[in-house]
Amino acid sequence: MTPKFLQSSRRGFLGGTAAAAALTTLAVPARAQVEVVPLDRYQPDYLTAGEWAFVMAACARIIPSDGDGPGAIEARVPVFIDRQLAGDFGAAADLYMEGPFNPGSDAYLGTQTPLTPARIYRDGIAAVDQWCTDNLGSPLAELEPEDQDTVLRALSSGDLNLGDELREFWALLVQNTKEGYFADPRYGGNHGMQSWIYIGFPGARANYLEWIGRNEAYPLGPVDIAGERA
Amino acid sequence: MRNFIHILFAALLITGLGFLAFITVPVQRTEPQTALADDWRPEEGQGEYAMRLADCAACHTAPDGELFAGNRPIESPLGTIYSSNITPDEATGIGGWSLDDFRAALYDGVRPDGTHLYPAMPYENYRKLTEEDIRALYHYFMEELEPVENRTLQSDLSFPFDQRWGLRAWKWVALGDPGFVADTDDPVLARGEYLVEGPGHCGACHTPRNNLMAEAALETPDEAFLSGGEIDGWTAPPLRGPDSAIRGWSAQDMAAILATGRNAHAAINGEMQLVVRDSTQFMNDEDLQALAAYLVNLNDGSTAPDRAEETETEALLVSADPDMPLGPRLYLDNCNACHFADGRGADEVFPELDGSSLVTAQSPTGLISMILTGSELPSTAERPSSLRMPGFGDRLSDEEVAELASFVRSAWNNGAQPVTPAQVAELRGDAEAKRD
Ligand code: HEC
Ligand code: HEC
Ligand code: HEC
Repeated sequence: MTPKFLQSSRRGFLGGTAAAAALTTLAVPARAQVEVVPLDRYQPDYLTAGEWAFVMAACARIIPSDGDGPGAIEARVPVFIDRQLAGDFGAAADLYMEGPFNPGSDAYLGTQTPLTPARIYRDGIAAVDQWCTDNLGSPLAELEPEDQDTVLRALSSGDLNLGDELREFWALLVQNTKEGYFADPRYGGNHGMQSWIYIGFPGARANYLEWIGRNEAYPLGPVDIAGERA
Repeated sequence: MRNFIHILFAALLITGLGFLAFITVPVQRTEPQTALADDWRPEEGQGEYAMRLADCAACHTAPDGELFAGNRPIESPLGTIYSSNITPDEATGIGGWSLDDFRAALYDGVRPDGTHLYPAMPYENYRKLTEEDIRALYHYFMEELEPVENRTLQSDLSFPFDQRWGLRAWKWVALGDPGFVADTDDPVLARGEYLVEGPGHCGACHTPRNNLMAEAALETPDEAFLSGGEIDGWTAPPLRGPDSAIRGWSAQDMAAILATGRNAHAAINGEMQLVVRDSTQFMNDEDLQALAAYLVNLNDGSTAPDRAEETETEALLVSADPDMPLGPRLYLDNCNACHFADGRGADEVFPELDGSSLVTAQSPTGLISMILTGSELPSTAERPSSLRMPGFGDRLSDEEVAELASFVRSAWNNGAQPVTPAQVAELRGDAEAKRD
């Protein structure tokens, strides 16, 4: 079950965009393709080296690279997650974080943990890696893909018993992976608009009225919020 | 508002003739145009309404400053002029001014001590105000406003533009007869004519300047009146004649754009936004209808320009052909979402670009500025939502803006000259300088 109010809010996104647009309208356009740091040399803003390895490994299993389209790694989803955790989302800036907390209450009552998303990742990763080391001999990132799948499956069904406060860790990880895969590239993921190309989404162009119902592919590639074409 | 600096050039020209006499001979003040009883009092709200019609707030209030406390900077390459504090403060405003002093500022552009005011203050037009409006304004500024202490900053124009006495010669040439005489027997049209020629000072922007930089015409019968002007590089389009921006508009279209800043064809931008925000949206129905009737009559007999319904531009945009040139491609990627493939937008929300006077104006300044910085329609009582067009300065390079602007200027039924990247670079520089 997706913890609804942990989702990065769409209104916040849009509001942020408008504000950013207002502030940057006059900035000299940064059109020259910014060189992207390869993932193995990326310096995370929030995650430690070990946590980064965990997120890389988990994302690679959630949207693997050997399927039809791009995987989470090609889309640089881990960068998206790291940047979200380093910012307001990670700090739960938009959430009500005063008590009382009752993390053990019925899941239908929504998220009741006192932990921020950044903290859930930190403690959740530590707990899962501890479990892997105790039971399989090494942290998640160093396991074989099949073993990683087994662990993640167990995590998803609650079998790892991370405790009530970390109950949402799995849901959060999956949700943020999807977001990083499909969000606008300005947030670090969806590199090169690869996921949009894959599903045929025209991006921030937002109007292709005349093509609706034509039952043929729209010929133009997507555009992102920064105006780049792919 | 900024163009008046050229007026100073003209003034200089005349002062060059070297008549020292008029520095010393006192200025004659214009008499009241109608005799009103001494105890004449405006009705409740009449003064404030007259202030709205004449839009005194737009110029006399600084951005984020107190209402009417002045010091709105009016920039020019030769220096800055600051509007005056016109609250009734004795020390820094117009407290203590007599009715005659006040009338002389509005009719003759002089202060009580005889100093000439720069024509940034539109006394060329206010000379047509009725005595009722003068009295109502006087009552409003003297008795209905609280004094605000705020010393008007010294305008810092360089010599010889700081020599105000030179303006006297200019006024001899520039000013028309005082008082308003209608060009029609129809009372509704006459009211519209008064609003436009007098308090609304529409001609200050929409009438071309002659070679002395005075308004080329001040009255409706003269065809130069409202035949199009320029303000700060933006074109204030012709409101009459073959190129009229409002040809074929109905009275309802006219009233809508003045009351709400938007109608089925267009939306207002640049300086015109201040006119709607601070003035025309407050007009009562009767005046709005009179103004609309006047504008329709001014364009009497002209029909909306012929526009082909099906255009090559639309077909190209709808094809979404990946090989299309950069201009239309940029339009699809950036503008199509709101202004649509047919360039007709959506009534009262997204203005038409096909046939827009701003798009096809001789000077592309308005169009380039719109693309670089966007714009926000003012919120009005009738249409509170302040619709915003985002700026694209951060998305598009100078070359791209030039390609896009050139495309829009020649798309659909438009046929205006292309734009160069250098023109874009210059405006981008200006906008950054203003922001810093
Ligand atoms: C287009 C801009 C503009 C508008 C509209 C305008 N003014 Fe002014 N006004 C000015 C500027 C600028 C000055 C200062 C001129 C100068 O320093 O020579 C000024 C000066 C004055 C002064 C002289 C005060 C002093 O001692 O300097 C008075 C009085 C005045 N305005 C009243 C009004 C009133 C009343 C209205 C509305 C009916 C009005 N103005 C509308 C721009 C404007
Ligand atoms: C301070 C200068 C200024 C004054 C005063 C002014 N205008 Fe304008 N007006 C402009 C400019 C600049 C534009 C062009 C910007 C745009 O397209 O919205 C414009 C546009 C317009 C338009 C829209 C044309 C179109 O196709 O979009 C109308 C109608 C109009 N003015 C009517 C008036 C009337 C009536 C008055 C007097 C009550 C007036 N204006 C006073 C500067 C001014
Ligand atoms: C999000 C919707 C949106 C997008 C995208 C958009 N516009 Fe606009 N546009 C508007 C709105 C709303 C206005 C009216 C705003 C105003 O006048 O202050 C407007 C006004 C204009 C005008 C003035 C028209 C007039 O009648 O005065 C021009 C020109 C224009 N847009 C061109 C463009 C171009 C070129 C692009 C692409 C770079 C673009 N717009 C993208 C919403 C949009």
